[in-house]
Amino acid sequence: MADRYSFSLTTFSPSGKLVQIEYALNAVNQGVTALGIKATNGIVLATEKKSSSPLADPSSLAKISLITPNIGMVYSGMGPDYRVLVDRARKVSHTGYKRIYNEYPPTRILVQDVARVMQEATQSGGVRPYGVSLLVAGWDEGVLPEEELEKAKLAKQAAAGAGVGAGQGEEEGEGSKLSDKTGGILKGGPMLYQVDPSGSYFPWKATAIGKSATTAKTFLEKRYTEGLELEDAVHIALLTLKETIEGEMNGETIEIGIVGAPADHLLGVEGVEGAVGPRFRKLTPQEIEDYLTNL
Amino acid sequence: MSSPFSINGGACVAMVGKDCVAIACDLRLGLQALTVSNNFPKVFQYGDNVFLGLTGLATDVSTVSDLFRYKVNMYRLREERHIAPRTFANLVSSSLYERRFGPYFVSPVVAGLDPTTGAPFICGFDSIGCIDFAKDFIVSGTATEQLFGMCESLWEPDLGPDALFETISQSLLNAVDRDALSGWGAHVYIIEKDKVTKRLLKGRQD
Amino acid sequence: MEVLLGITGKDFTLIAASKAAMRGATILKVSDDKTRQLNKHTLMAFSGEAGDTVQFAEYIQANAQLYSMRNETDLSPSALANFVRGELASSLRSRKPYNVNLLLGGVDPITHKPSLYWLDYLASLAPVPYAAHGYAQYYCLSLLDKHHQPDISLERGMELLRLCADELKRRLPIDFKGLIVKVVTKDGIEVKPFDEDAVVRGT
Repeated sequence: MADRYSFSLTTFSPSGKLVQIEYALNAVNQGVTALGIKATNGIVLATEKKSSSPLADPSSLAKISLITPNIGMVYSGMGPDYRVLVDRARKVSHTGYKRIYNEYPPTRILVQDVARVMQEATQSGGVRPYGVSLLVAGWDEGVLPEEELEKAKLAKQAAAGAGVGAGQGEEEGEGSKLSDKTGGILKGGPMLYQVDPSGSYFPWKATAIGKSATTAKTFLEKRYTEGLELEDAVHIALLTLKETIEGEMNGETIEIGIVGAPADHLLGVEGVEGAVGPRFRKLTPQEIEDYLTNL
Repeated sequence: MSSPFSINGGACVAMVGKDCVAIACDLRLGLQALTVSNNFPKVFQYGDNVFLGLTGLATDVSTVSDLFRYKVNMYRLREERHIAPRTFANLVSSSLYERRFGPYFVSPVVAGLDPTTGAPFICGFDSIGCIDFAKDFIVSGTATEQLFGMCESLWEPDLGPDALFETISQSLLNAVDRDALSGWGAHVYIIEKDKVTKRLLKGRQD
Repeated sequence: MEVLLGITGKDFTLIAASKAAMRGATILKVSDDKTRQLNKHTLMAFSGEAGDTVQFAEYIQANAQLYSMRNETDLSPSALANFVRGELASSLRSRKPYNVNLLLGGVDPITHKPSLYWLDYLASLAPVPYAAHGYAQYYCLSLLDKHHQPDISLERGMELLRLCADELKRRLPIDFKGLIVKVVTKDGIEVKPFDEDAVVRGT
C-alpha cells in the first residue's frame, strides 16, 4: 500500500500557507545559532558546539563540514537532517559535476543542487521537509571583483578610443563573436548563501541563522563594513557569537570554518606541479583559542 | 574498409599558434568510394571560442554534434556563462565514455582559447573518450596518416594567425588530396582573442 | 534494384521512384508508389527492406500530419528532415533497426526555397541539390554532376530526369518498370506524367 503511492504531507492551508514548512522553520529557530561573514579575501562560518553532558567528547562532534575543497557548510536546526544533506551535497557535487566536467561545482550550482533536494522534500509523497537552514560558503574561480572593475575601466577607454575592427574572410567572414546575452562572465571570489527548508536560497554579505539569529543579525549590521579582511571577519564572528552564546567560549565549544587562500599544507604532498590546496578548512581548537585571547 | 570510421570518410585537424588556435575540416560525405555530398562540415562552434571537430560515421557526427549543442546550451543556461574549452573537453570525454560498450564511431577534436588566460587549448579523443592533450597539433579522420606527415613537416611553434591559417590550410589540403575518402573543399577557423575568422577553401573538386 | 531520384531546381523539387515492387527476382507489382506525402509541401521517397519501408514512412507521415493538425501549421522540409533523422538515428541503436533509405524533398512554405535531403538507413543526413539511392547513384549522380544547375526550370528538370531514366533503363540488368514522378512546388505536390513506353536503345 504505502509503496504504491502516498500523498505529500506538505499541503496548502486555506490561507495559502504551507504550515509544515513553517514548522520546519520553527525547528530551525530553536537550533543553535550559526553565522557567516563574507570578506574580500574569504569567508568565515562560525557556530557554537553545545554538548549536553560534561562526559561527551567534544573533539568528535563537528557541525561545520567540507563539501568540496573550496566549499564548506554549517547548519542550524536538526543535526540528523543536516548529515543527510551533507552526504547528498558531497555526492551530487561529484555525480552531477566533477565526474562530468572534472572540476568542482561553483558555489551557486552546489547551492541550487542542495536547494532542489530540500524543495523536493516539500512536494514529494510521504516525506517531511528538512528541519534545517544552511549556510554555504565557497570560493569560485573566475573573474574577481577587482579585476572586473579594472576590465570595465579598460572597456570604457577602448570605447572612447573608437575604431571598430571588422572581421575579414576570403570567401566568408565571421568577424563578430557570438552574442553574450546568455553568457556573461563567471563572477569569481567568495560566495555566501543561506538555504531554507522551503528550498529557497539567498546570497548574503553576512547573516545568521538559528535561535538568536535576529540579535546576531542586528549586531552584524552594526559591525559589518565593506572591504572587510578575513582576519577582521573572524574577529567579528567571535564577537557576534559572544553576544548570543550561552556557555563558555573556548576552542572546544566554538567551531569555525574559513574559506581563504589555498591551504597547500593540507594537500599531503609537496612539489607537485599545479596542485592547489583546499580553500576551505576548519580552524583547530588551538587557532580558535588564539583568536579568543586577542578578542 | 567496412570499419564504421571509414564508411563516410572525412578529415579534421587542429593547431596551436601564438595566442591563437586553428581548426579545420574537409567537406566530403561519401558512401565508400561514392561521394554523396560535398557540403558536410565537421567542425562545430559551441560558444565564443570553443570548437569541436568530428570525423567518423556521419550519422554519429550529426548525433554527437547535436548532443553537445544540447549539453552546452543547458550548461550556459544553468551556469550563466560560456563553457571553457578545457571543461568542454572533459564533458566530451565523460559523455563518450558513458557509451563505453556501444560507442559513437567518431574521433573528436577540441580547439579553443582559455577564456581567463587566453592560452591556446587543443586536444583529441578516441571514440570512448580517452583524451590526447597536445601542445602542437591534433589530427583525426581517414587522412590521419597524411595529416601527421603534413603537420609534422609544416608546423612550427608560435605561428601568428595568418601564418597559422596558411599552415593548417596547406596541411589539410595536401593531406586530403592523398586520401580518396576526404576532400571536396574545407572549412578553416582561426580563433584569436576576440575574433574568429571562418574561411571556406574550395580545394580540388575531384 | 529500387530506384530513387531527386532533383531541385529554381522553384521546385522533383522526386522519382521506380514502380516495380520486387521480392527476390520476382516483380509483384508494376505500379508501386514508393513515396508518401508528409504535408502540403513535403514529399518523402523510400527504399530498403520490404516491411520496414512503408511502416517507417507511414509512421513519419502520421507524425507530420499530427503536428499539422495540432499546431495548424506545417513543419518545414528541413524540420521534417531533422525529425526523420532523429527517428532513424534512435532506431539505428535499437534492437531491430529500420532498414530504410530516404529522399525528402520539399519547398519551404514561407521562403518558397526548394530543398532536398538525402538520408540513408544509418541516419546520415545531407542537404543536396540532387540525389539518388541504390544503384541509381552510380549511374545518375555523374550525369547530374555534368548537367544540373541550381536555377533550372521544371521543364529542364524533367529533361534531366528523362536523361537519368534512359541511362538506368540502358544499364540496369532488371526492369524497374518505369518511374513515378512527383513535383513539389509552392502550390503543393502533383504527379507528373512520365512516358514509360519509350524504348531505350542499348549502346
